[in-house]
Amino acid sequence: MKNKIFTEPVLKNTENLGFFEMLAPPEDISANGHLIDWLFNYTTSMNLFFFILVCIGLFGFSYLYHNKRHPKPYYTYGNKKAHIIIATVIGIAVFLCIDLMITGFSNNHYTGVFINWPDESKEDVVRVQVLGQQWAWNFRQAGEDGVFNTQDDIVTLNDLRVPANKKVVFQILSKDVIHSLYFPNARRKTDAIPGRITRMWIEFKKTGNYEIACAEMCGTYHYRMAAKLTVYEEEDYGHYLAEAGQIHRAVNDPEDGQIYWGWKWTSASSSKKIGMNK
Amino acid sequence: MAFYEQHIHPKPTTFLSKYIFSFDHKVIGKQFLWYGILFLFVGGLMALMIRWTLAYPGQPFPVIGSFLFPETGGAVPPDTYAMLFTMHGTIMIFYAITPILIGAFGNFCIPLMLGARDMAFPLLNMLSFHVAVISGLLLMGSLFTPLGAAAGGWTSYPTLSTLIGSPGVGQTLWSLAIFVLGVSSTMGAVNYITTIITLRAPGMGYFDMPLTIWGLGLTAVLNAIFLPVLGAGVLLLIFDRVFGTTFFLAGAAATTGTGDPVLFQHVFWIFGHPEVYILILPAWGIVSDLLSFFARKPAFGAKATALAMTSITILSTLVYGHHMFTTQMSPLLTQTFMTLTMTISIPSAIFFTNWLGTIWKGSIRFHSPMLFSLGVVFVFGLGGLTGLYLGTVTTDLYLHDTYFVVGHFHYTMAASVLLGGFAATYFWMPKMFGTLMNEFWAKIHFWITMLGLNGVFFGMMLVGYGGMHRRIYNPFIYEFTQKLIPINTFTTWSAIIMGFAQIIFVINFVHAVFFKKEKASDNPWEVGTLEWTIPSPAPHYNFKDIPVVKCGPHELGNPNVIGKDFQYQTEELA
Repeated sequence: MKNKIFTEPVLKNTENLGFFEMLAPPEDISANGHLIDWLFNYTTSMNLFFFILVCIGLFGFSYLYHNKRHPKPYYTYGNKKAHIIIATVIGIAVFLCIDLMITGFSNNHYTGVFINWPDESKEDVVRVQVLGQQWAWNFRQAGEDGVFNTQDDIVTLNDLRVPANKKVVFQILSKDVIHSLYFPNARRKTDAIPGRITRMWIEFKKTGNYEIACAEMCGTYHYRMAAKLTVYEEEDYGHYLAEAGQIHRAVNDPEDGQIYWGWKWTSASSSKKIGMNK
Repeated sequence: MAFYEQHIHPKPTTFLSKYIFSFDHKVIGKQFLWYGILFLFVGGLMALMIRWTLAYPGQPFPVIGSFLFPETGGAVPPDTYAMLFTMHGTIMIFYAITPILIGAFGNFCIPLMLGARDMAFPLLNMLSFHVAVISGLLLMGSLFTPLGAAAGGWTSYPTLSTLIGSPGVGQTLWSLAIFVLGVSSTMGAVNYITTIITLRAPGMGYFDMPLTIWGLGLTAVLNAIFLPVLGAGVLLLIFDRVFGTTFFLAGAAATTGTGDPVLFQHVFWIFGHPEVYILILPAWGIVSDLLSFFARKPAFGAKATALAMTSITILSTLVYGHHMFTTQMSPLLTQTFMTLTMTISIPSAIFFTNWLGTIWKGSIRFHSPMLFSLGVVFVFGLGGLTGLYLGTVTTDLYLHDTYFVVGHFHYTMAASVLLGGFAATYFWMPKMFGTLMNEFWAKIHFWITMLGLNGVFFGMMLVGYGGMHRRIYNPFIYEFTQKLIPINTFTTWSAIIMGFAQIIFVINFVHAVFFKKEKASDNPWEVGTLEWTIPSPAPHYNFKDIPVVKCGPHELGNPNVIGKDFQYQTEELA
């Protein structure tokens, strides 16, 4: 018995997927998502190594020292020199092999790539303002004049179109509750917070249609706060911009206050003086 | 502080003074145990409804669905779903785990293992339970308000938890319930700390205390420091909701000046990260003791374990920022929090070495408490290691707010703590109720629980790695999550199996408490800590003569002892 409140989705054919294909994360379409995947895999291999060690100890000792096989326990407090050295060596090994390594990698990737904001005075980037609301994503791109919050802005609802191979810089804000702009295909998410602008930049590499979701609980219809992402070839994106610009100039009524929810764009590199955040 | 001897009070005679308004720490412990088990059932049922919805969205929940949600024909509606996961998280953390491990075993074990006749402040102890009952009533009452219970997640981030996102009175009651519970836990914590400092039996130094007491004591310290922080946070939230202040409001709703919703996250996680350790430290302590007791040899590096627990307690207060990486804090803070988080793995590694060192060359008796303790080592290994992905900022950018997080914290908080709680229940059963639980069914219970639990929580991590995010009612509306349907179904069935396995426990428990004729001996597990020197069940005054402690808690397998393989703490070290 199916219920009316549940809209049946169009299910993709998932029957023929192998087990590991099923487990794989969504296809990575960004220039830097592989860094995250790589670090995940590094951590996993290290974790596997140490977890297998734990399991060998746990199951091996449980088998070997069952009271039937080993009736006489070895009376020790574990405070002999050898014991202390072994415990210390294991502790340090875990810290060096996993913790320091992943902290180092992660920090380099984070400061060197993910929040290394493109210099907008020198580099040609695509700028997008994102406004989250219950339960939709508004996207705004400056129109021909390159200035935000004017009549020729291209404003879309749950529909983001960007070119491939070009850095896309997002400024994200929420008007009601906290949301989180989530690109599963780029391995990225950034919170949309009322009262402060957060930033994210992504370079998409692969054209096609993908999904955007809201990752932060934002109310009853949180699960439906989905948007479409279309990545165009640079050329097609030009066509889209021209066409959409025309439509928006015709549709946007300059007298209507509601179309001016955007804000003045301040590039992250120019606001560095006053800190990373707003 | 010097030790002082408490008087032996006359035995309470009336029903009220014996079972309701009792000052006896053992009775209060049992009250907390029943309270926790009751809420465990409610929270578990909610978990099953959540899991059912994730596997079969829109289909009626079996058997009781049509009774609970008649307007949808039995299917969980989306707004109710949000209430369910909010209440599930809140109930399990504050009303099930906290009362069972801290309230029940904290109360029961601390005086008994220290050789005291009661807690330092028996009246405060009783009030702590009664206040917890009020809090539980407030929380359950919120389910019956017109707009339903709180639905903003157990983290209740503003502005969703303010009037903008949750207009109903349910969220206010939720905040009030948490505040009141904070008062209750703080009362308990003050009591535990004082008892541990002042009421250790003569001769018992801090390192002669069982590790259980170390765990419970450190938990009490964290509770006493950080629950008031949470209390302050939810109080401000109540102000925002009721008196129109704007501590956490910003954006369009902040009409009279702006606050900052992220401020609440800071306040919440400053408490919230230590809370994880508040829940797990007692389980760690219990497991450290039980592994030694059932491996029949002293705890390996017991001093190091105690110090590692202490350093984790300190570190846990310094790492909370890793819950907030996606709010885009300053990279300097990101770096700091990430590095501090990683240092927690040094004491954790020492723990694991010591746990494995304890069973190494032991003579292991696989009784049910031991099985559950070994289970804790296994699941906490998985839970701890998967935390690394989330403490690392870049992998967290992808995994934050996905089911990976859910799987991870269930492994650490739910799986480890649940198994630790079961180990404790099976172990102290004879001292609490005077009977042993059926060993055969305890083992069956262990294996089914263990299988189900790993199915549930590993399944969660798998779908999380597949990108499925948290707190969504219907995961199938996204294309990228559709291929995860089979894993979701598998997870749900694991949860159902795990849920049904608990029936075995409940029957076993109720039977042992009320119906079992065969009494347990005073020391059925043959261990030497102080609670086993007195009769089972413990008499109301605990110790007729206050014991004098002469050796450590883990004196097992000493070849110099003749006739038995353990020593009581009251005996001179052979």
